[in-house]
Amino acid sequence: MFLAAQTNQIYQIMSTNLSELSGRKGLQNNLFDKMGQLAQDTGTPSPEALEKLANEFLVGKANTYGTATFYDFMKPENKGKKVYVCNGTACLCAGTQDKVIETLKTNFAADEIGHMTCLGRCHENGAFHYAGKNYSGTAIGGLQDILQSDSDKNQDGYTAKANGTAILTQPFTNIKAYYAPFRAALQKDAAHVLNEIKASGVRGRGGAGFPMGLKLEFCRKEESDTKFIICNADEGDPGAYSDRYLLEQQPHSVLFGMLIAGYVTGAAHGIVYIRAEYPEAVTITQAAIDELRTEGLIGENIAGSDFDFDFKIIQAQGSYICGEETALINSIEGQRPEVRVRPPYPAQNGLFNKPTVVNNVETLATLHYILENGGAAWKAIGTDRSSGTKLVSLDGLFNHPGIYEVEMGTPLTAVIYDLGGGFNRPVKALQIGGPLGGLVPITKVSELTIDFESFSQNGFLLGHASVVAVPQDFPIMKFIEHLFDFAAYESCGKCFPCRLGTKRGQELATKALESDYKIDRKLFTDLLTTLEQGSLCAHGGGIPLPVRNALQYFEEELKEYFN
Amino acid sequence: MVQKSEQYSDATTTFAFVDGHPFSIIPGETILSFLKRHKGENLVPTLCDAPNLDPFGACRVCSVEVALEPDGRRKTMASCHTPIAEGQHIFPSSPAIQDLRKNIIELVLTDHPLDCLTCEVNGNCELQTVAAQVGIRDVRYPEGETHLHREKDLSHPYMTSDLSKCINCYRCVRACDEVQGEFVLSMAGRGFDAKIVKGIDQSFMDSDCVSCGACSQACPTSAISDIFQSKAITATETTRTICTYCGVGCNLEVSTTNGEVVSIRAPYDAEVNQGHTCLKGRYAFKFYDHPDRLTSPLIKRDGVFEKATWDEAYDYIANKLTNYKAEFGPDYIAGISSSRCTNEENYLMQKFIRAVIGTNNIDGCARVCHSPTALGMQRTFGTGAATNSIQDLQHTNCIMVIGANPTDAHPVTGAKLKQFSMKQDNVSIVIDPRRTELARYADYHLALRPGTNVAVLNMMMHYILKEGLADTSFIESRTEGFDDFKQHLLQLDIDQMETISGVDRALVRAAAIAYASAPNAMSFHGLGVTEHSQGTFAVMQIADLAMLTGNIGRPGVGVNPLRGQNNVQGAADMGVQPHQGAGYLDVTNPEINQQYNDFYGVTVPTHIGYKIPEMFDAALEGKLKAIWIIGEDVVQTDPNTQKVIKALEATDLVIVQELFMTETAKYADVVLPGASFLEKSGTFTNGERRVQAVRQVVAPLPGTKPDGQIIVDIMNRLGYNQPDYTPDGMLEEISQIVPFFAGIRWDELDINGKQWPVAPDGTDTQILHQTEFKRGLGYFEFNAFEESKEITSHGKDYPYILTTNRELEHYNCGAMTRRTGNGEILKSDYLMIHPEDAATNLINEGDYVCLESPRGKVDVKARITDEVNPGVLSTTFHFPEIMVNNITSDIHDSEAMCPEYKVVAVRIRKSKGKFKVG
Repeated sequence: MFLAAQTNQIYQIMSTNLSELSGRKGLQNNLFDKMGQLAQDTGTPSPEALEKLANEFLVGKANTYGTATFYDFMKPENKGKKVYVCNGTACLCAGTQDKVIETLKTNFAADEIGHMTCLGRCHENGAFHYAGKNYSGTAIGGLQDILQSDSDKNQDGYTAKANGTAILTQPFTNIKAYYAPFRAALQKDAAHVLNEIKASGVRGRGGAGFPMGLKLEFCRKEESDTKFIICNADEGDPGAYSDRYLLEQQPHSVLFGMLIAGYVTGAAHGIVYIRAEYPEAVTITQAAIDELRTEGLIGENIAGSDFDFDFKIIQAQGSYICGEETALINSIEGQRPEVRVRPPYPAQNGLFNKPTVVNNVETLATLHYILENGGAAWKAIGTDRSSGTKLVSLDGLFNHPGIYEVEMGTPLTAVIYDLGGGFNRPVKALQIGGPLGGLVPITKVSELTIDFESFSQNGFLLGHASVVAVPQDFPIMKFIEHLFDFAAYESCGKCFPCRLGTKRGQELATKALESDYKIDRKLFTDLLTTLEQGSLCAHGGGIPLPVRNALQYFEEELKEYFN
Repeated sequence: MVQKSEQYSDATTTFAFVDGHPFSIIPGETILSFLKRHKGENLVPTLCDAPNLDPFGACRVCSVEVALEPDGRRKTMASCHTPIAEGQHIFPSSPAIQDLRKNIIELVLTDHPLDCLTCEVNGNCELQTVAAQVGIRDVRYPEGETHLHREKDLSHPYMTSDLSKCINCYRCVRACDEVQGEFVLSMAGRGFDAKIVKGIDQSFMDSDCVSCGACSQACPTSAISDIFQSKAITATETTRTICTYCGVGCNLEVSTTNGEVVSIRAPYDAEVNQGHTCLKGRYAFKFYDHPDRLTSPLIKRDGVFEKATWDEAYDYIANKLTNYKAEFGPDYIAGISSSRCTNEENYLMQKFIRAVIGTNNIDGCARVCHSPTALGMQRTFGTGAATNSIQDLQHTNCIMVIGANPTDAHPVTGAKLKQFSMKQDNVSIVIDPRRTELARYADYHLALRPGTNVAVLNMMMHYILKEGLADTSFIESRTEGFDDFKQHLLQLDIDQMETISGVDRALVRAAAIAYASAPNAMSFHGLGVTEHSQGTFAVMQIADLAMLTGNIGRPGVGVNPLRGQNNVQGAADMGVQPHQGAGYLDVTNPEINQQYNDFYGVTVPTHIGYKIPEMFDAALEGKLKAIWIIGEDVVQTDPNTQKVIKALEATDLVIVQELFMTETAKYADVVLPGASFLEKSGTFTNGERRVQAVRQVVAPLPGTKPDGQIIVDIMNRLGYNQPDYTPDGMLEEISQIVPFFAGIRWDELDINGKQWPVAPDGTDTQILHQTEFKRGLGYFEFNAFEESKEITSHGKDYPYILTTNRELEHYNCGAMTRRTGNGEILKSDYLMIHPEDAATNLINEGDYVCLESPRGKVDVKARITDEVNPGVLSTTFHFPEIMVNNITSDIHDSEAMCPEYKVVAVRIRKSKGKFKVG
C-alpha cells in the first residue's frame, strides 16, 4: 500500500478493505443477509435502502449497488417477478418447461415470470417456484389450487437408497444417539480426530476432490482467534440434487460434520450457505439447528468442553458462481461474488480475512460415519484413491430417478440400469458432473466406474456425480449453445477469457443454429483453449470439457455447423 | 543470462529457471515480479496489473507456462498472482502462451472501439501497446453484442468517463478502494454486461467522488480520464516537482507543451505519495496562468493602484524603508514571510529582516497554525518537528488522530490513515468534536467539547497510570520531571473532567488502554490541538503521552504533527520566527548571535521581535511604520478581521507580495507580483522533515518574478550584497548556517529528497530521538485544564460554540483553489449544525444562519448534519464572501500566541443573508 516498490515485489494481499469492513459487523449483523431481506418485498432493494446499508457498513453505495445487481433475486430487473420457472439442463432436456410457461401465462403477466436455474427437481422436471415454495412434476396442472390456497401441491417424491453400505442414506435415528460420536470426540484431542479423518482418505465431494483432512489441517495450523467453517450448500449444478436430499432429509449429518470440522480446526462459527432455490432446505436445516440448541449441542462450552460453536444460515440470492468457494466467501461478506486469486487460500485467509474451511454438503456428511467407525472403515470402502461412498442423482429421463448411494468404483452401467432402471426414452449422451462435467456418449458408459480416476482418465469429470440424460432427438449443437448460454449467464465477469469467451461462444453457436453461418474450426478451438488455459476459475476453465466431448463424439451431427 | 558467480555465490540464494536459465528468486515474490526483475519490465504484457495495486488476476495476459521439471508437464498460470517457487521452470513466451495472449486480446477487441487514431490516449494506451506486442492482425469473431453505445460522462469539472473504452480490468475500482479508500466505484451487473458504476450508477458529479484522480491514472485506456487528457501524449516535456498545497509534500510530474502546463500526474516511485495525490495536487493548477494573476508591481496613489515598473516599486520601497529605519529604528518595520514559498526564499526574507533591516520582527503563518507544536515539542523533546515518518504506518498497531481531519486537509496522508483504520486488527482513536471521515472508521471516537483537549488528554494519562500501563523503564532512562507529573495526574478530578469534556469516562479509559497497550502507537495532530488557548499545553501532553508509554524513538511510534502548508515546516526551520534564527538558534544568545554576525557580515539584533498578533497590536499603537507580507492573506484568514484591517490601515507602508489581489493586497500600498511554485526552483520541507526539490516547470508569467529574487533585489537596493536567487547557491549558503542542513546539496536531493537532520556526509534521518532526546532527557510537565476566556467571558450570552474546519476542495483562503475547477465542486462556505439545534432555531437546510459573536456577525448557509454534536457549530473560511474571521476572537494560546480559531462563542438565528459580504 505504501511503498510502490514493495507492493510489486513481495506478494501480499492487502486490498481487503471490504472484507475487513464487513468483518467488523461479524455474522450476526450480516451485510448480505440484510440485502436479501431488503429485496424480499419488491424483488430488489431500493436505492435508498442500499445507501443506508452502505453508510451503516462504512462501504460505498457503489458496493451495495454492485452486489445487488449481481444476483438474480436482488437485481433491479427482478423487481415485480412473482413466479420463477426452472431452466436447468434436466428440465430443458425433458422438454417440460414450455408447457409450464404457457400455463403460468394464463395467470401471470410475462414480466412477472422469471427464471431460476435448477430447482433440484430434476427427477420429475416441470419445476417452478412460487411464493417461497418449489413445485414440480404434474404440479403445474393444479396451478389454480396452488395460487388460491395453501394446500400443499408440493410433490417431491424420489427414490433414495444405497446399493451397498448405506452411510449417507442411512435413516436418522434420534438426536441423542446420533450425536454420541460428537460427544465422544469432545473428550479426545482434536489432533486425534483429525488423524481419523485423514486416515479415511475422504476427498471433497464438491467436484475438485481435494483431501478433506489436509484442508482441515491447513486451517488448524493457522493462528487466529476467529475461524469459520462454511458448508457450501449452493448446489447450483443443474441435474444435481443430492445436497438438497441431505439438507432436507439428513440435515443432522451436515451439521454434525460442521461441528467436527469446527472442533478439529478450532473454529467457533459455522455457516450454512444455502441457495435461494432450495427454500425447504433452509427451513428444515434451521429446525435441525434449533434442535441442537435445545439439546445443548451448540453454543458455548458444549457439553462441558471448552469448545464453542454456533450456526448461521445464509440464504443465497441466485448466482451459480457462488458455488466457487472464494466467490461464496465474497458473497457472505456482501461483496460481489467474484472469484478471488489464490494464494492466499481460504484456509489461511478466507471469510472476513480469517482462516476458513469451505466444504461441500456431502463431504461434511461423511464425517459421522468416520467418527463412528474410524477412518479405516471408510477407507475400506470404494477404491484405493477414491474411498467411501458417493451419492449419484439421476434425472427424470431415467425410469427410476432418484438419489443413489454407491460405493466408489461401482460401474456406471450398474447405476444406470440396475438402480436407474434405464431410460424412459432413447438417450444419446449423459452429462455427468454438472454443466462443467463431461458429456459421456451412451457408447462410452460401459467403460466408466463411479470414481474420480475413472472419469478423469477417460476425459470426463465425476464432479458432483449428477447425471442428466440427453435424449436422442435433442440436437447436440443446441446443447452446446445451452452450455455456453449458461456459462455466459453465470460468469462473474472478472476474468477476460470467461467474461468474453463464454458470450462469444454462445453467439457462435446461436448464429450457426439460426443461420447458414459456419463456425471456423480454428477459431472455435482457439476459443476453447483460451477458456481452458486462461480462465481464473473452473467456471470458464471447465466449460470447454463437455464442448470438446461433444465435438469428439458427435462429430457427424455437428459437422454441418463448422467449416 | 545469470552469471555463474551469482549462481553459486551464496548458499542461501534459491533459483528458478526462465527458459532453462537459472535466476535468483526472492521468497514470496510473484512470478511476474521475478520476471520483471530479471528480464525487464516489458517481457510479460499485463493489463489489469498496476504498480500501486494488489495482484488481481483478471486479464490473464500475463499468463506463463510453469513446469516442475525442464521437460515436465507445463501448466498455464497467471504470473501476477502466482508466487514463484524454487526450482520452477518458467516459460514466459512459449508458442502456446503467445497464442493465448493473442486470443485473449482478440476477445477484448470484440468489445472495444477500433478508433485508436482519434482516441485521446492514442500512443499511450496500454491495450494498444499490448495488442501490438502480441501481434493482433484481425478479429475473427463475427459481429456480436457490444457495449460500444455507452454514453460518456462529462458531468464533472475534472473527471470524465467513456465506458465504451472500458476493458473491465477493475483498476479504477481497485484504485478507489486500495489507494483512496473511497469506494465510489464498483462493478455492477455480472458477466458480459458487468460495467463500472459510480455510486448507484450516478455521474461523477452526482457521486461521492473526491476527485483524487487515482482511477483516471490507473485506467489503462481512456475509459476514465480527466479534462486535461493527462494520458494523451501531447506534452513535450515533464518536470518532477513538489505540490504547493498541504504539508504532505506529494511529488508531482508536470507535463508541459510550449511552455504551458498541460496536466499533472503522480509518480509511482515517490516515497511520499506512491503514485497518488489529491484533486488539489493533480487538478487544481489552473490558477497559475489565471487572468486574475498580478503581472505588474502596483503602487497605491490616492487610494488607487497604479501600475509601476519594478524599478519604481523598488525605489519606492527602498526609500521608505530607509527613512523609517533612520527615523524610527528598525523595530518599526516587520515582515511576514510565506510558507507557500521555498526554504531559500524564507531564509532570504528572515535574513533581509534581520541582517538588512536589523530587527527580529519576522514571523510566518505557523504563528496561526502550528506554533504551539513547535514550542510544545521543543519544550518536551527539544525539537519542534515530527518525530517519525508517514511510512511508519506500516509498522504501527495504533493511531491516535487528535484535532485533525486529514482526509480533507492532508488527503494523501488521510487516505493512508483511513486505509489503516479500516483493518480489523488495527486500533484507531480519533479525538475530535466532529465525526470526521476518520472518526466514522475509528474504534474510539472521543467527541469532546471544543477547547477541552487538555482535560481529555489528562484523563487518558490518568487512566494509563492507574492501569499500570506506563513504560517505567523508558520513563526512568529517558525522561525527567515524572514524579511531580504523576502526582498531579493521579489526583485528577475525573468527575469534573468528564463533565467539562462531555466524553464518557469509560470511553476515554478504553481509548487510553488501547493506546498504551499497543506494541507501537503513533499520534497525529492538527490545528484542532494547536489553535486553542491551551494549544501548547495540549501538544506537550501528546508528547507526554508518547513518553509515558515509551512510544518514541523507533519505527511506528512518535508524535507526528500534520503540518498545514506545503512549507510551513521549512519556514520555521529557516528562521521565520521572532525568537529563533535560521536553524532554531536562539537570537538572544550572544554566542549564537556572534555566529550570525560573522556569517551575515553585519550585526543582528539580540532582542526577540514581534509575533504576528503583536505586529498588529504595535501597528494599532503607532509603533509599526512598515510591514512586508509575502503570500499570506491575513485579512481573510487571521482572526478578528476588523482588527487586522485597522492595523493595516494604521501602518504607513504595507507591502504585499502576492499572486492575486487578495483581501490583504487590497490594503497594500505596494503590491509586488510574485511567482507560483510552477515558476521557480528551490526546496519545500514537508511535515516529516523531508526536504524535496521544487523544480521550475514554466517561466514566470511575464511581469512577475520569483519571490526570492524580489527579496534579493531589495536587499541589494538597501546596500546588502546578496547574489541572485538560485536554488543551489542558496542551499549552499543555508547548509553553512543551519546545522541540520549541513549535508544538503541541491544536486543530491534526487527524486525523494532528504529528511533532516542531514549529516555533512549526506546521511538523513527518518526517526528522531532514537537514543536520546535533542534536549537530553524528555521533560514531563503537568498542566491543568483551564477554560478559555472566550467561554468564561462570553459563554453565557453566546451559548453555542463555533469551531472551524477545512474542506477537501479548497485551500486556506482559497485564493488559488477558487480560481480552478475546485470552485465548481464546492461553491461556498457552509455551516454545520446539528438537527436538534436546527430545529430549535427553526433553521432548514440551506437557510442562512446569522452567527453573532462579541466581535460581529456573519451569515452562513446551513447544512444540517449530525457530524457535529448539539451546541457545536463548524464552518470554513475559504471564501471571502463569508469572512468568518469577522467573528473569531483574538484570544491566543498562552504560550505561542496561536489564535484560538477553534472556540468562538456565538449565538445563532435564522437570517436573510444581510451580513453576507460581497
